[in-house]
Amino acid sequence: MKRLCAVGLVVALGVGAAPLRKIQFTDTKLKNGLRVIISEDHAAPVFSIVVNYNVGSRDERKGRTGFAHLFEHMMFKGSENVGQNEHPYLMFMNGGTMNGTTSKDRTMYYETLPANQLDLALFLEADRMRSLTITKDNLDNQRNAVQEERRLAVDNQPYGKTFEAIDELAYENFAYEHSVIGSMADLSAASVDDVAGFFKMYYAPNNAVVAIVGDVDPKTALAKVEKYFGGIAAQPAPPKIDLTEPAQKEERRLTLEDGLARLSRLDMAYKIPPGVSSDRDSLSVLGTILSGGRSSRFYESIVRQKQLSAGVGAGTDGSVGPGLFNVSGTALPGKTLKELEEAIDQEIDRLKTAPIADWEIEKARTGARRSFVAGLGSSINRAVQLSEDALFYNDPDRINTRADRIAKVTAADVQRVANQYLVKTNRSVVWTVPKPPAAGRGGQ
Amino acid sequence: MPVRIFVLMIGLIASALPQAPAAPPQPSTTQMVLKGKAPVSNDILKVKLPRPQEVDLPNGLHLMVLEDHRLPQVTFTLMIPGAGGYLDPPDKIGLASYTASLMREGTKTRTSPQISEALETMAATLNVGSGLSGTTATISGGSLSENFDKLMDLTAEVLLSPSFDPGEWDRFKTRTKAGLIQQRTNPGFLASETFNRVVFGSHPAGRISPTAANLDAITPEALAEFHRTHYAPDHAAIAFAGDISLADARKLVEAKLGGWKKAGVAKPSVTDPDLMGPPKVYLIARPGSVQTTLYVGTQSFRRTDPDYAALTVVNRVLGGTMGRLFRHLREEKGYTYGIGSGFSATLYRGSWTSSTSVRTDVTEPALTDLLAEIAELRDKPVPENELADAKRAIVGSFARDLESPQQVLGYYIDNWTYGLPADYWDTYPARITAVSAAQAQAAAQKYWAPSRLQIVAVGDATKVTDILRKKGTLEVFDADGNPMK
Repeated sequence: MKRLCAVGLVVALGVGAAPLRKIQFTDTKLKNGLRVIISEDHAAPVFSIVVNYNVGSRDERKGRTGFAHLFEHMMFKGSENVGQNEHPYLMFMNGGTMNGTTSKDRTMYYETLPANQLDLALFLEADRMRSLTITKDNLDNQRNAVQEERRLAVDNQPYGKTFEAIDELAYENFAYEHSVIGSMADLSAASVDDVAGFFKMYYAPNNAVVAIVGDVDPKTALAKVEKYFGGIAAQPAPPKIDLTEPAQKEERRLTLEDGLARLSRLDMAYKIPPGVSSDRDSLSVLGTILSGGRSSRFYESIVRQKQLSAGVGAGTDGSVGPGLFNVSGTALPGKTLKELEEAIDQEIDRLKTAPIADWEIEKARTGARRSFVAGLGSSINRAVQLSEDALFYNDPDRINTRADRIAKVTAADVQRVANQYLVKTNRSVVWTVPKPPAAGRGGQ
Repeated sequence: MPVRIFVLMIGLIASALPQAPAAPPQPSTTQMVLKGKAPVSNDILKVKLPRPQEVDLPNGLHLMVLEDHRLPQVTFTLMIPGAGGYLDPPDKIGLASYTASLMREGTKTRTSPQISEALETMAATLNVGSGLSGTTATISGGSLSENFDKLMDLTAEVLLSPSFDPGEWDRFKTRTKAGLIQQRTNPGFLASETFNRVVFGSHPAGRISPTAANLDAITPEALAEFHRTHYAPDHAAIAFAGDISLADARKLVEAKLGGWKKAGVAKPSVTDPDLMGPPKVYLIARPGSVQTTLYVGTQSFRRTDPDYAALTVVNRVLGGTMGRLFRHLREEKGYTYGIGSGFSATLYRGSWTSSTSVRTDVTEPALTDLLAEIAELRDKPVPENELADAKRAIVGSFARDLESPQQVLGYYIDNWTYGLPADYWDTYPARITAVSAAQAQAAAQKYWAPSRLQIVAVGDATKVTDILRKKGTLEVFDADGNPMK
């Protein structure tokens, strides 16, 4: 067991504002490679635990899209010492809450519980990391639940297919090109062998981070983590996925018809650099200026003045690898997508050349400070951030530097990234237009 | 800090009732195996739920403060009875809601964009809202401590001198009408619209959305008039949580809202919705739908009803997280991604609803199983272990609320709103714990009687009409609410 670092307390200053408290944590690696981050906070008699695995839909192969997420469902179906669905049942029946979530880059499991149930959480998480029960019955059953999840979130929703189309158009690399939920055909094809192989390769202690935040004693908590997880064998490191994207040379466009939609919708995605790039901070400030709240440029110009849309959103995604800066909005009745797109382009052009007001930069800075403070009020929020920053960037202390990083972004930085990334040859555009239902499908 | 506290015994239920033994009786549905090997703590965890300090101010305003200096931020909620949608005239549904929305769209001294800029530059929030059914309008917001004084300046402006600018009203109407179109694509909206109409009839509780005609009938003058006559402090309350003391909160309220004078208005009174008609099945045709969205439900009771604890417990068994509906219809049968049940209870009778979305071809077995799970709770007492688990789940979740002072304050706002006794939350765990299997069953029999259960479905009418007809008298509507056939 090797102590990597212990972060000290109190510093960090915003511009002319009260100092922000720094989040203190310990960062330890067990012999089997499991990284353990513990942050003590006795504000309330609860704690949160996150077990974050370094595997997501980016790791799926062709023909098995949706597998990482399907696997996430299997993690609740029992292990050597835990019965089928016993894990969630024990959590909720003891005053806790829990869930799992899968993204392109990671699969995360989390619980928040009263402080006296630390052993329970660690036992359940360790038992499934060590000895997941994999059966065909479980797989078939959760395949049904996931296919229903897809129907609910994608196939039965207006614009559901738009979300998939935009990634398919923007990305060339299969890793990020396909959706997390996957295709119905691929979900149907997943086998028990796939589940077993995936478990062995990715659900190993050396491919995971455990973060515990809240009403715990760090030394005791670490000893308990060692007790429950220490005996789980490390596995060979999984293959590293190449996420690189070829440079985009020209604008890509697609028009979709949607039988469930009633208003037309515009989606635009601009390619941006990987998550570790400092340009992401400038793009985040840019997103705030364009679409953060009702003082934003998109709202004032396109929603309030020109009345082309009820709301236009813009911002960076949270991807580790090459990302997208997404812009989207629906056109109000009687307005066209062409008008909406031109109005958005005008605002983006204005951002590139005309001055940015001081208050617009100040707004982004204060926003980062307030979201840091609000995050301190939630143990689960901190556990998620600490674990993701450790997993993605090998730097859990990023949680303490974000407000400062945003505070360093200048108006010149914002204009530079606007000119560099928000250009037509670097974007993919999807128009979704309502399709009237076919005659005779209406009812009786 | 002179805050009174009480002790909540988390785990008390666990120690007082049999804990899951090594070979526990299984809950009534499959797809769950309790091996009983995981180390569950039965220690009594003492939780101190702090109480707010409260005082009445001369203009009628009731002040509540939950002082908590853990974080440098303050939030507030101002509740104004008499300014809610319950008071809407029948031809101007939405009047209260739109009055609230427009208050934020400009004052005597600031335009809408100036308000947005001032708020967002200091990362503060300020929302004015009113539903279509309740008696109360709410103004709420929050900011870092260093900006809170300025936030209260803006709040006072929005509350006391909104301008109801005709240009802003026109813009608001245009945006809102797009939303009225958009919401009809959402199966959940279509289901609740019909469900509320069926359960509440013409009572304000039945309103889900205004119509475009309602919007056109409302003028800026009507908004200003509603504001002038309904926003009175006489029966209002303002509640603060976070980095602020009672003394500072009082000074702030006196300084910023000193101009808000008592109006001598009566406290709004309410009546219960009429009893429902006979149980029927309603289908809203949604062409192209690949799922059927199902609501099964009925009227519930007032917030102060003595059955509150019993229905809370039996509902937790049925439709709480990892409850019977989830274990049976999702985990065992794989019909759905999500299913659950819940109820509302306010100054007048609310509703109880169970709901889910299932793929079209399992509509019949899913609805049959949903009704069977409800029937099971009417017909048989809940086994003791399952009952104890449900009760522990309810009481145990209190500890998590302590992370958020706003959440704790919310409980005491309920006390004020519904006139609950001062020690209501002190004794709540004991009341939940005391619910017996017979009382839970009695609540199921009383509220979930077959003669009371209304069924609403949204889906592909070409595929599910005949199935639904088997479940009762069927009425079919299109997605715009027009009767079909």
